[in-house]
Formats: sequence, C-alpha cells, structure tokens
Amino acid sequence: MKIRVGILGCGKVADQHATQIRKITGAEIAAVCDSEPLMALQLQERFNASRHFTSASEMLAAGKLDVVHITTPPQNHFESGKMCLEAGCNVYIEKPFTMNAGEAEELIDLAQRRGLKLTAGHNAQFTPAMIRMRELVGKGYLGGAPVHLESIYCYNLGDESYAKALLGDKEHWVRKLPGSLLQNIISHGITKIVEFLKGDNPRVVASGFTSPFLKRIGQDDIIDEVRVIIEDDNLMTAYFTFSSQISPTVHQFRLFGPRNSLLVDDDHQVLIKSENREYKSYLRYFVPPFLFAWQYMENFNTNLRKFIKKDFHLPFDAGMKTLIESFYASINGNAPLPLPYKEIILTARIMDQIFDQISHKQRKTTGKKRPIKQASARSRLGTAR
Amino acid sequence: MAPPSVDHTRKSMLEFDDFGLSPSVIGNDSVIKEDDILLVTGANGFVGSRVVATLLACGFKRIRCLVRPTGKSGFLESIVDKSKRSALEMVNGNLLSRENCSIAARGVSVVYHLAAGTDKTFAGCFMNSAVTTRNLLDAVTGESSLRRFVNISSIAVYSNEKMRRGDLLDETCEVETDLVERYDPYVYGKSKQDGLVLEYARTKGLPYVIMRPGVVFGPGKAQLTGRVGVNTFGVFLHIGFDNAIPLTYVDNCAEAIVLAGLRKGIEGEVINIVDDDLPKSRELLSLYRKEVRNFPVLPAPYPVFYLLCMLWEKYSKWSEEQLPPVFNRKYCEAYWKGNTYSNAKAKKLLGWRPRIPMDVGMDRYFAYIRKAGSL
Repeated sequence: MKIRVGILGCGKVADQHATQIRKITGAEIAAVCDSEPLMALQLQERFNASRHFTSASEMLAAGKLDVVHITTPPQNHFESGKMCLEAGCNVYIEKPFTMNAGEAEELIDLAQRRGLKLTAGHNAQFTPAMIRMRELVGKGYLGGAPVHLESIYCYNLGDESYAKALLGDKEHWVRKLPGSLLQNIISHGITKIVEFLKGDNPRVVASGFTSPFLKRIGQDDIIDEVRVIIEDDNLMTAYFTFSSQISPTVHQFRLFGPRNSLLVDDDHQVLIKSENREYKSYLRYFVPPFLFAWQYMENFNTNLRKFIKKDFHLPFDAGMKTLIESFYASINGNAPLPLPYKEIILTARIMDQIFDQISHKQRKTTGKKRPIKQASARSRLGTAR
Repeated sequence: MAPPSVDHTRKSMLEFDDFGLSPSVIGNDSVIKEDDILLVTGANGFVGSRVVATLLACGFKRIRCLVRPTGKSGFLESIVDKSKRSALEMVNGNLLSRENCSIAARGVSVVYHLAAGTDKTFAGCFMNSAVTTRNLLDAVTGESSLRRFVNISSIAVYSNEKMRRGDLLDETCEVETDLVERYDPYVYGKSKQDGLVLEYARTKGLPYVIMRPGVVFGPGKAQLTGRVGVNTFGVFLHIGFDNAIPLTYVDNCAEAIVLAGLRKGIEGEVINIVDDDLPKSRELLSLYRKEVRNFPVLPAPYPVFYLLCMLWEKYSKWSEEQLPPVFNRKYCEAYWKGNTYSNAKAKKLLGWRPRIPMDVGMDRYFAYIRKAGSL
C-alpha cells in the first residue's frame, strides 16, 4: 500500500529522514514544510517532494498524508504532533519525543483515541547489532530476565555537523531545552535500558557535571557528563553513562543475564556473547580468548556479507530505515508498533528525573539555577499511574 | 563593545605585514567616502579579518564588523591593531536572525558579505549561505544608503564538464546547475547564495559585484587544499599532477575584495580572484612535503581517478547510498580535471595586482603551519 509522507521541519535531520524514506518501497514524500520557505524549497528540490509549505496547517489541509515526520526542534514536537494527529495523520516524532513525560503521555493518549499510530526517533534501537541482540534475548540466551544492564552513550564534541553548531552558537535551540545537550541526545542510551525494565516507576539516581574541557573553553552552561543508576520493580539494575570526554567515543550496551551475557558494540556493529562455561585450569586463559577472537571474526563476516549484499548502511541510518519501515508496516496493519508506547513514556519519565536531580544538585552546589530544570509537567507524572 | 586585547603570540604566527592598499583608493574612482559605513560579515574569519584590516589601512572610519557570538576569539583580534580599533563597530549577531540583519544593515553604504556555511551537510550549508544571504539582502535593500553589495562566492561554483583539460576557466564559463549530482554541500550553498543575489539584482535593483576567489591560502589556514589530492583512503592520493592550483594569498584576496566594494562602474560584474604564477599540483605537494612534513603519496593519474569516481558513483546508486556519492564524475572534474585560470578581469576592472608574490606567500604559509603544529 502506498504511504504518502509529509516532513515537518527541513533542517539537517530532515535530510536523514528523506534519504531513508525514499528507499522504502511504496513511500512517497508528498510534502515538506518549514516556516522558513527557503529551507522547505531546498528539501523539496533535492528529494523531489511533490509540494512544499511554510505552514503545518496548510500542509495538513492540502491533502491526505498518511504519516508526518516531525523533525523540528523538540520545543515544537508536542504542538506539532497534536496538530498532525488531529488532522488524522500517523506521526513519527524525532527524539527527544517531547519536552517531558506529561506531553508524551498526552500525545499517545490522543493517538490511541483517534486510532492512529505514533513512534519516536529511537533509531539506535534498530541498528543491525541491536536487532541481532534482540533475537538472541528472545531465544532465551540470557537464561532469564537481565540481572543488570549497562548503557554507555558518548558524544563527540568535535563532531563538525552538530556539536560545532551547538558550541559555536550561544543561542542554539539545543541550549534552550530544559535538559540542554542531554535532552537532545540521551534518549538513545536510556531507551536501550527501558526496553528491559519491568513496572512503570523505576527508581533513578542521577549525577551530572560539566567536563573540565567544556569549562576550559567557557561552555560551563552545558552539562556533558552524566552517570545514572536505575532500578526497576523486579530489582533489575542498570547503569547509564553519558560522556563527551571518553575516547574513543563509545556507544555500547551490555546485558548481564543469570546464565549468559551480551555486549552490543554499536560503533563497530559487533555483538559478543559471553557464555557461562568452565574450563579446567589454565585452559580458561587460552580457550575463551580464542573463542572471543572467533566471535569477532564471525562479526566481521556478518558485516562483510551484509555490505556485499548492499545491506550495511551506516548503523544509525540503517536503524532509521528499519524503524520507518516497521512503523509504516504497523500503519498498514501488517505489524505491531516498532516501539511500544510504554517504552516511549518510560524513557521520557527517566529523562525527566535525570534532569530534575541534576538541576537540583546544581542549585545546591552553586545556588544558581542551571539550564537543566524541572520539566513543567513533572507533577502530573506522579499521579499518572 | 570593548575591543578585545591582542593575542601577540597568535599575531606573530599570522605574520602579516602592512596591508597594501592606502587611503589613495578612496578617491574619485570610489563609490563611497571614508566616513561612510561599511559592513563586513564573517569579519572574524580567515579572509574577513584581512578585509577589515585592509579597509582600516585604506582609512575608512566606520567599519561595522558582524561576528557570531561564539565566545571564541577569532582572527580579527589577532590582526587588527589596537590603535585603529576606534574605527570598528563590533556587532555580535547571527545572519539567521532578521533582527540582527536589520541592526547590521542600518545606514550601510557597502556590504562585504563573507560569512558562509562550511557545514558538511546540505541543509547546514544552505541555511548558513542562502538563508543568511536572503535575510541580509532583505535588510540592506531597504537602506537607501546602499551603494554596493560585494558577494563572496567561490571559484568552485563553475562547471567545467563541457571543457577540455587545460582549457581556460574564467568568468564566462557556465556555473554548475546540476547541484544534486555534484553532491558538494559547500557548492550547493554558494550557488544558491549567488542565485539569490542575482534575483535581488533583477527584482530590487541590488548593486552587486560577485567575487569568486580561488583557493585562499596563507597564515591562519593549516590545510593543504584538496585540489592536490585526497587522503580519504588512509593514504594520500595525488591527483592531476600538472594541474594549475588556483591559489590566492589571503592578503591579495582581501585587497581584491575591498576594491570590488569601491571601484565605480563595476556593478553586475562577476570577478574571479587568483594570483599570478600559480603552482602546479606536483610543485605545491613537493614544497609542502619538503617544508612542512613528508608523508607517503600514491600518484593517481586523473583518468584513473575519474574512472574510480565513476565506479563509486554507480556503486552508490546501485547500493542505495551504502556509500554516499561523495566521489562522482562531476566532483572529480570540478576539482581535478585541470584548467588554466586568469586574473585579467580582476586586474582590469579593479586595478588590482597580487601584491604578495607566490613564493613569499608560500613561505609565510608553510612557516605558519610549522609553527601551528600543522595537520
């Protein structure tokens, strides 16, 4: 079935979306929209979109769109998402999904009432290595529910496309988010943990600070180092680390099960199994290293085979394509939603708590309110469930 | 805004001398007077700061410098002498803000528009070249005082697809129109910027001059131009051994740009800027390896690299951009086909001469890279 797509917000992220959408059979970029007409025009021109608009309401009124991708700065996600749902469109909202959990719940509630679908831009969940991890976990490889998880998500402040723009512009929209840089980035790492959490109200202990590097270059209004401990209703624990200073930049997810464990290395698209096998005496120092080396070779083979079959696009791009395809399949009624709503809400709740705690600690330390502050709908969350 | 203090270490590294133009350029042949307001966008940049210094040397008394509020010190404070700073009006702003543009444009007679997008993404380059230019044009076309809008484009916007190797690439050549195929975000942004300037000239009578510098080099820029080759593959591929490299030394380039804002009777002209005595690719690479650092080089004859680019382009299409088409035939032709260049028009219309000879410019450039720790 043909899917008519609209893109709302024609900046850098919209390029990634448009690139993946045009690879999907049956999908057509029917309209693009940006309040800046030149930005809308350039996206239309480069991706052969049928029409361009400068007003979301005009785009929605102009013709039936099956799905709208919202790629505006997050401050607009809630209002834009609501407008699209009310116009009868399914909606893909880039991360961070909304400014806080309250908004996320309200949007999801609206989508459900109207029989429409929503998803969040958690494309890091669908990299080839993450998908392989999920298959293994589904087959019971861990030997039960995970005992502990670790998600490490680093950010390279030297990145030309994004970080340079952020650090070079004191008025950049990212700085105006309640969680500043963290709010725009950490959902990728948090949602990996959330996928395995039980219950609706995990306990969160967070600590954050500005790295000496950022302080040195006069960017002490940005918190770029965060450590978080999460515990769910079944006493499963998780650590989340966000860092701009760890080198090389790492995006890893570890699952420690009651029988076996797994490591997902998203930077190299490697999945490593750690099996509970005993080796006698000195053999433990020779056999497991050899088997690990063998696993790395298998990962090499997997990646190479995929590359030869033209199925190894950059991991986050591949993840976005899989997410979009799965979302469109769910819209067509052929598949479940790629991201359960509970995951989207819990991710937002945990992020709210992280920003809240870090902000609170900063206030206690400095006496000043830092950019990370209590999300406005926080009070609603306590009574939501 | 209080003038920033001079960083003497950096100043000595940048090794500039007195800027070549003198107050005599503001004479009968000039569209403005010394107390008219001039606006320089990108004034803190590599070329912009030299433009400001040249304007100061010319004796202009009201130079408005638009700089981004990055919090970082740029080139300007290293170059501009403290004693002359009373002639500068520093405006912190972003051309993406129409309000900032209006403030910057108030009462200006000449605009030197050097700010540009150098992002790696198409949207980023477009936004910081085209959208910013449109905002600035909207602001300045409302100013009755405007005499000249000097738009800084790039020699990279030309297409040499229909030209043979060695043909002269000058101002009469076609510009690239197939920008999506070329897959060059910088050129995409610059071409759209030029298009806007031409549109405003047609619809609002904008008195413009488009300047298209070649590869600007000199102290302050540590990179070896990609026109010599690429090191994407872990080894430096040297392409187009005998190609002339269209270099222009930063001070020479700045002087040409300044003159483009002053000379009478050149509205609507497009002028390329390259220096005299352009080195061949092999000469430049050899000098660089001798003066800065040696590194392994794999020679890649142009026809071979062209073939590689063609294969890359086809593979990119077949694989649905598993490898993006960053190497393609159009890109290869534009940067490595090998053309000859002329600065005859710049000399004729502007009365410009590249004051710093190529060998002196090279010495300063290499000395800077050695001092700066280089690549």
